[in-house]
Amino acid sequence: MNDLIKYLTLSDPNVRYVALAILLLGGVSGAVGTFNFLRKKTLVGETVAHSMLPGVLIAFILSGVKDPLVLISGAAMSGWLSIWVVDYITRHSKIKGDSALAIVLSSFFGLGIVMLTVIQRTYGREQSGLDHYIFGNAAAMSPEDSVVFGIISLVVLLIVVWNYFSLKAVVFNQDFAQSVGINTKWIETLISFITILSISVGIKAVGIVMMSALLIIPPTAARFWTDKLGRMLLISGAFGAISGWLGAFISYSYSSMPTGPWTIVMISLIAFVSMMFAPNKGVVFQRWSKLLVKRRMNEENLLKTAVQLEVRGQGKLFNRRSISARQFFDPRLWNRTIKRLRRKGLVKKVHTGFTLSTEGRAIGAEIDRRHKIWEVYLQRRMQMSVHLVHDEADTMEHFLTPEIEAEILKELGLCSRFNPLLEIHEIVPEGA
Amino acid sequence: MDAFWIIITGFLVASSTGMLGNLLLLRRMSMMGDALSHAVLPGIVIAYLISGSRASLPLFLGAIVMGVVTTLLIQFFSSKGKMQSDAAMGTVFTFLFAVGVILVTRFAGEADIDADCVLHGEIAFVPLQTSSFLGLNVPAPVWTLLVLLLVIQVIFWWGYKGWMITSFNNEYAQSIGIRTVLWHYSLMAATSVATVVSFESVGAILVIAFLVVPAASAYLITDNFKRMTLLIMLQGLISAILGYYIAEWVGGSISGSMAVASFLQFAACFAWSKVGTKKEG
Repeated sequence: MNDLIKYLTLSDPNVRYVALAILLLGGVSGAVGTFNFLRKKTLVGETVAHSMLPGVLIAFILSGVKDPLVLISGAAMSGWLSIWVVDYITRHSKIKGDSALAIVLSSFFGLGIVMLTVIQRTYGREQSGLDHYIFGNAAAMSPEDSVVFGIISLVVLLIVVWNYFSLKAVVFNQDFAQSVGINTKWIETLISFITILSISVGIKAVGIVMMSALLIIPPTAARFWTDKLGRMLLISGAFGAISGWLGAFISYSYSSMPTGPWTIVMISLIAFVSMMFAPNKGVVFQRWSKLLVKRRMNEENLLKTAVQLEVRGQGKLFNRRSISARQFFDPRLWNRTIKRLRRKGLVKKVHTGFTLSTEGRAIGAEIDRRHKIWEVYLQRRMQMSVHLVHDEADTMEHFLTPEIEAEILKELGLCSRFNPLLEIHEIVPEGA
Repeated sequence: MDAFWIIITGFLVASSTGMLGNLLLLRRMSMMGDALSHAVLPGIVIAYLISGSRASLPLFLGAIVMGVVTTLLIQFFSSKGKMQSDAAMGTVFTFLFAVGVILVTRFAGEADIDADCVLHGEIAFVPLQTSSFLGLNVPAPVWTLLVLLLVIQVIFWWGYKGWMITSFNNEYAQSIGIRTVLWHYSLMAATSVATVVSFESVGAILVIAFLVVPAASAYLITDNFKRMTLLIMLQGLISAILGYYIAEWVGGSISGSMAVASFLQFAACFAWSKVGTKKEG
């Protein structure tokens, strides 16, 4: 608790910069990743991050110092080169995007490893810490680093706000963007630019091998909550920032726990929870709504069949056996469905069986009518055989809205009431 | 003799992963190698913590289990969770890798294991692990990789028709009653086994490189499938030799150099295919 207060109030100067920097980093890369996510190029971040290793090392060899700004520029340059190579390969050969990404990733990173081993052998103490770029070391963030992060976030924010409409158009519909006169090449370059920018500042904190997670996972999580780009950017940025903050907190309160990996574990948990429980798109919600539809279909089938038995003069009383003669219900399903129908007051229990209430009868008759309308429609307009239309209609009867129904009746020139006793072949004579 | 064994190891890795890379290339799943080699880290660490030793069998089992789990998770996220498939892959492997790194740091004190050794397992140590067989001093990894290559070859030629048809036209394959999901999973399982077995001895970078680069270069030069597989092996051999001598020359990582060498070959094939098309045009 004490830790939490100390952390929240940022009274400890050590944690102040780390927390701030990683929070900004999470937010920025979450927002930037959204554009790559929507263009279905999420794995670009993975290749760019890995490809930055040789750039960092060349910058170090040339300058001889570990000045963060120099190393970042080196990283950015080799990141840029990697995007260019991927682009060149895909445009000038039959190699597809994913293979080009894997080719560039492995060769740039391989080159980086060769260089790193050579540097470690030939340079003395001054090279130590370069390997931090591979796995990241957020604890080594300095005040200057968080200032750099602040500036970068501002730049990215300005770019996104300034070009919001063009970005949106390019991300969702390239052809449309081109047709309204947007320079799509320029906008794509801009997206690459902000991607490289956020990755090149992030690798020192999170590490080359894990940086891509901060671009991939926040938008993946945010996608479950919204369909709008603006909101998605905000949510994704917020998820990234929150997890960065949590990661820094865990690393602060438990010694020797690394910040970067915990940030990624946090954002993954957010993504997992989003996937399971988000309204509308979450797995649980989808399962639930499917279950509701299934239940409604069973109820409607039971009512419809009971009505059919009634009009065929088989009495008002029904039970599982008599219903199952036309529409099969196993005992478990029967008990559950009957229980729900009785609770809704659509079915009443009479000593030897069940009977429909007035409302139940009305619903059943309505479903039966829709079934027949759809059968007639399939027969007359779709030229389907009489023997085939029944199964199709069995599904559609549950989904036919009054508006569609009216349309169909108008088109077929039918009145809205059928004699409920008639079967399909009696309404539509053979060969009609 | 060391040089010989290192080159042989490189060649064996290239030819077994390259065959699968061929199929991954056609299915547009080339990043799977990268994903798997990151994702198995927690499996290796957990196996290490349970068994308490760096013996290769438990680590190997842990990694394979993790490879299969990764494949299943990606499948679950993309089919049940309706994530777009590249995002599902990216989410799963980065998450698992982060878990692995956390485990490594948490148990760093008690365990003689670090993330570096998994990512950059070094091919240079292959000749040190000799075991003698029939009077021959053959390094143990070479045996494992030889078995791997045989197994992969058998599986490959047994299943390649199924994989081909499901790669080129999945809907058609499904419609004539081929169980496409089964083929998908079997390829993923084979890939994770190959990835794990090879990177235990040569490191992850080289596995990612050999999984895709030789296949892509061969694909640029020929459309004939059998010729492609031959070219892949040839390229593996050249990359292994070239990479070894580059490393010797600059004094750096051999695995990294082999990856660079295979890229050089890719560049050559790329140029070759450009010249070829220009002549035709």
